[in-house]
Amino acid sequence: MSNITTVEAFGDGFISALFPELMLFAGLLLLIIVPNLGKGTFRIPGTQIRLPWLLGGTRFKFTSDPRLPAWIASVTLGGAFLNVIYVFSQGLERVVIVSESGKELLLVNGFSRVFEMIFFGALALAAFSSMNRLQVKGIGSRVSEHELYNNRRQADFYILMVTCALGMSVVALAQDLFVLFIGLELASFSTYVLVAFLKESKVGVESGMKYFIVGSVASGVGLYGLSMLYLWAGSLQFSVLSAAFAESGTTALPLIGIGFVLVGFGFKVSAAPFHFAAPDAYAGAISPVAGVLATASKAMGMLGLVRMLLIVAAPESSEGSAVWLACLGAMAAITMTWGNLAALGSDNPKRMLAYSSVAHAGYMLAALTAVGAWNWDATISGDAGAAAVAVMTALLFHLVVLVAFKLGAFLVLSVLESEGGASRLSSLGGLAKREPLLAVAMFIFMISLAGVPPMAGFLSKLLVIMGIVRIAVGDMGAEIADGGVFVLADMHWVWWLAFLMVINSAISVFYYLRVVVVMFFDEPEEGREGPLPSGWQVRLAILACVLTTVFVGLAGDSLIRICEMAAQSLNYGW
Amino acid sequence: MASKESAPLVHSEWLQFAPLIILLPMIAFAVILFLGRVFNGHPFWKKNLKEGGLIALPVMAASLILSLLLISEFLKGNSGVDQIFEQIAWVNTGVWGGGSNIESVSLGFGIYVDHVTVMLLFVASFLCLLINIFSIGYMNTDPINDNRNHRFYAEFVLFCSGMLGMVLADSFLWLFIFWEIMGLCSYLLIGFYYERPSAASAAKKAFLTTRIGDVFLMIGLVMLWDLFGSLDYAVVFATENIDAVAANSAGTLQWALGLMFIGAVGKSAQFPLHVWLPDAMEGPTPVSALIHAATMVNAGLYLVARMFPFFGAESLHGDLDDLAFIIAAIGGITAVMAAAIAFVQMDLKKVLAYSTMSQLAYIFTGLGCAMYLANTLDWHHDDDAHYIVIVAFGAALFHLFNHAMAKGMLFMASGSVIHEVHHAHHHLHHHDDHGDGHGDEHHDDHDDEHFDAQSMENMGGLASKMPITATAMLVGSASIMGLPLIGGFWSKEGIIANAWRVAQDDPRFLLPAMCVLLGAAMTGFYMSRMWFKTFAGKPNNEVAAHVGPTNTWIKTPLFILTFVTLSSIIFAGMGFTHWASDTEYSFLSEKNLLEGILYEMKHAFANSDPFFFILTYIAIFMGAIIGPGLAMALYGGKLAEGEEAKPWMRPIIALSAWVNKRFHFDNTAIRESTLATALENRLYIDEYYDKAMINIVAGFSNKVAETDAEVIDGTVKAIESGSQSLSTIVRSMTTGSARDYILMIAVGTLAIFLLIWGVA
Repeated sequence: MSNITTVEAFGDGFISALFPELMLFAGLLLLIIVPNLGKGTFRIPGTQIRLPWLLGGTRFKFTSDPRLPAWIASVTLGGAFLNVIYVFSQGLERVVIVSESGKELLLVNGFSRVFEMIFFGALALAAFSSMNRLQVKGIGSRVSEHELYNNRRQADFYILMVTCALGMSVVALAQDLFVLFIGLELASFSTYVLVAFLKESKVGVESGMKYFIVGSVASGVGLYGLSMLYLWAGSLQFSVLSAAFAESGTTALPLIGIGFVLVGFGFKVSAAPFHFAAPDAYAGAISPVAGVLATASKAMGMLGLVRMLLIVAAPESSEGSAVWLACLGAMAAITMTWGNLAALGSDNPKRMLAYSSVAHAGYMLAALTAVGAWNWDATISGDAGAAAVAVMTALLFHLVVLVAFKLGAFLVLSVLESEGGASRLSSLGGLAKREPLLAVAMFIFMISLAGVPPMAGFLSKLLVIMGIVRIAVGDMGAEIADGGVFVLADMHWVWWLAFLMVINSAISVFYYLRVVVVMFFDEPEEGREGPLPSGWQVRLAILACVLTTVFVGLAGDSLIRICEMAAQSLNYGW
Repeated sequence: MASKESAPLVHSEWLQFAPLIILLPMIAFAVILFLGRVFNGHPFWKKNLKEGGLIALPVMAASLILSLLLISEFLKGNSGVDQIFEQIAWVNTGVWGGGSNIESVSLGFGIYVDHVTVMLLFVASFLCLLINIFSIGYMNTDPINDNRNHRFYAEFVLFCSGMLGMVLADSFLWLFIFWEIMGLCSYLLIGFYYERPSAASAAKKAFLTTRIGDVFLMIGLVMLWDLFGSLDYAVVFATENIDAVAANSAGTLQWALGLMFIGAVGKSAQFPLHVWLPDAMEGPTPVSALIHAATMVNAGLYLVARMFPFFGAESLHGDLDDLAFIIAAIGGITAVMAAAIAFVQMDLKKVLAYSTMSQLAYIFTGLGCAMYLANTLDWHHDDDAHYIVIVAFGAALFHLFNHAMAKGMLFMASGSVIHEVHHAHHHLHHHDDHGDGHGDEHHDDHDDEHFDAQSMENMGGLASKMPITATAMLVGSASIMGLPLIGGFWSKEGIIANAWRVAQDDPRFLLPAMCVLLGAAMTGFYMSRMWFKTFAGKPNNEVAAHVGPTNTWIKTPLFILTFVTLSSIIFAGMGFTHWASDTEYSFLSEKNLLEGILYEMKHAFANSDPFFFILTYIAIFMGAIIGPGLAMALYGGKLAEGEEAKPWMRPIIALSAWVNKRFHFDNTAIRESTLATALENRLYIDEYYDKAMINIVAGFSNKVAETDAEVIDGTVKAIESGSQSLSTIVRSMTTGSARDYILMIAVGTLAIFLLIWGVA
């Protein structure tokens, strides 16, 4: 592309291009240093002279405040988020960062910016709302606010949050398998620890451990796939790989490689059958972390899949579809059905949300399958290519709005959790009487997840389904307009994914509305009457989620336009 | 598909405030309801704010003022401007369009002002304000309404807002939305006394009957959307779009409009969907006035009047005449039927209800004839034809105006009578309880539960006791009857003349033409009967003898409306019939007022065409002499001794007494005839409907309910339990052991490997 600026690492324009990441890096340093500042001194050996050393010793008043790390992390992540928003409002620049030898390392464009927005937004909300709320004794323990304040591991928690964000944004920017993998592992390891962060509770440690082991296996398989690709093409560069694929992508080695890569990212998006650790992890982690897993981490997995499947192993011609199409389609169908079926009988709201997020992963995989049904370069495949951009836009839009209502739902659960657990559906009982506003917020999140208008979830689901159908109709659209005969069998088989999605959406309404029924019609559990523990931060975060859900649902066109731009930049900007 | 560019966009000073006409009452609705809940029973709320009445009043006044400003601006600038139009985008939603990019579909609300809008806007906002004033005098003085008047006022303002919104809306979609708001409010207000089973069932009846029409309206709108790709007036009335539709699917368009007309039939209570209107009298009297004069029933007329551009379109020439005939015929049939039923009603408000039905039928006939003329005459090029069409359409609209004013007044006057009779009864009853034993003999008849303050049996000779009310009732009745020079005369003559004009062209129209002519005489009879029974003669019983004058809140609107009705000649002189239907004839520019009045007089009484000359006098003879004469012969009579009516009523009462003495005849035989019994039973139409409902609809419903319970619910439950057990199986695969999870990863990897390998 003509308007891509090439910048060498640490060269001119490096700072402005990577400003959000550098902000995170600075925040990370602050998180490590600031809470350790104190009146510590250093005695010059052999003398009695003590020089102020500032590290260690008795802490200053503000550095000993346990809320400090939370504030630093929130401000850092929030600042990075706002920076991305600001960049969007100012118009985007495309910047590619190359190494000295001219290899492309990182690419900043609309596509990566949208993902940065998702990651930073989700993590900022999670960090902000878990302020004051980190349990010391495990989920379900009633603790005083004082005890919450004095949790000495606050700093650790927020450092992990920020490294997680940093790793994710590296994945968003990566143009090289090696960089991609570094980012992936940085983010993954942070999430493993975050899941197991509640070491006082058995369930937290166990689920963290399981998540780590299963995740490591998946990562291992994925890495194996990456190494096969390297072996085959002799390069880690996406651009080289892509060119090689277009030439001879149907040989055994790259196909096996791509298949293994699917496993690695399939675990991240919790696609069946790699999703099994997810419900355990969500149930074991504290709710804001579970929310991050369901939104930001999932977006990272989708991002990896998009990079690997659409950029590296792109559909090769106007007629042909991608080699991985059948495989991904099957995965999408199984994932959405499995997730919904499992969620139906789940009594634990967090597990229910985990399964629902598996179902949503299925929807997104269906969208991705549809994109792969045609070569999505519009210059080659005409109308169907435009449809591919449309469905890609829908996919991005879905990922963005998912942050609002899925994370929001987890945040509502987190308020309940700080009072005595949210591991049974009945713990939500009577929420409408205890805290009407929270119940209404949860109601909005649930119907948005179910895809009821006018919530954002409806719009995103509608866009995905319409996009898939348009792709399935493909070039027939013009024929039909000319009076051609329309036969269902003429449509591309991805049409069935849209059909399955509609059926699954119908099923999903049941378990989403069950939550509403419990909140509004059931009595509170015994000993859980009265209002919930205070905490304005989490409530503010929930309010932000509600407003986004409703506002985007009603007037989402500017966000859709941003996503469309991102989808196009992925397509043309490459 | 039509493009949305044809609308002339005119921005004007008052137009930007036009949405407030709708919004202010809507906000007042919420405010009154909220404050009413909070301050219920509070003395300040009750005494100083009249339980919300004095919140509604300024709001309705503001709506009226804004409406008047908008109207005056429209009338001033009307030379050459067809409509003022502005749209505010309300919801924009990006969806995938036909092209490669995102198209934005916006649901916008706009204000559309043309001559029909202007007329109805004035009628609605003016009458809503007057009825609001009346309500404060009527509702707040009746202890039965204590502490729930806020509900009345809240629903009242919402009703007004619905009507104003419907009139101002710029698309059939919004028209339908406001139409349904009115439907809801009519349900709530008719059932205001929901503790009475009769009121509750009347509310349901009104809602369900109009709902039948609404379903057809909705289908019609969907068909219209299918034809035009939009429901915005700006699009559907654009000549090039009508031409495009006319070229291919004029028949479909006629069906769409016909179905929409059924909606209007329901709303305006025309045969065969008229059954709800008499029962709607269960609501408080201000509600009756609101439904009959200001809002609800006019909605149906407005919808039909809105369709005029289709009938007038050049490209649809001669394609829609069947529908025009149906509209006129439904009108004609209803006019005679309702008038006949009104003959035997003893309930004051029910007479008025049937009279509303009958007069609306006149307007429908007028509209149908005007539309026939517009559709068959070459009025775009022939000046004479153009004049005929414009005047025919204008006459129908003018009758709408006259009828609304007169009927609003009549209902408020009847409310005033009922209110005072009710009071007198209470007063008397109170005395009876503590009296000297004389009360006992009345006690059985006048017991609170059995006493009917609305029955004309309990009235008579009230002319001297309630002079303003009697005068208002007299003027209103005269206007409805079409007595020469008063109110409805000017428009009714036009409708009758046009019906006959069309009948000369097309013999089918002889049916409505005969009906409207016969209806004129019948109107004369039942309206006079009502007035004489209520106000002339001797009081029928002790209650009627103790009726006193009414309060200022009630008198004020009666006073104002009497003047408006009497000054109908001035409107006619200003060329109402011309500019109300076509802005090419500009307001007050062709003739000055005196010339206009003389012209109208000449046109009415000395028509140069001998056919219409004779027709006019036949109509006057029937409406002003035969009908009232019969009524006088049967029900006329002097007032009781010592009672003096106002000078302008004295000759009428004296005349009635003379006619009664001279021509009185015994009508027992007629009263007991089968026809009279049938009329008293509303021609058994309600019974047939009930039977049909019970036998066919209820039977079918029961079958459906059974099927639903067994087959559909059964299937759903089977699916539910099936998927629950499937869910259990699926969830049991999440064993909790990391070893199993890794095994599944291995399985998945193998599957992927096979799939990719197999495809490649």
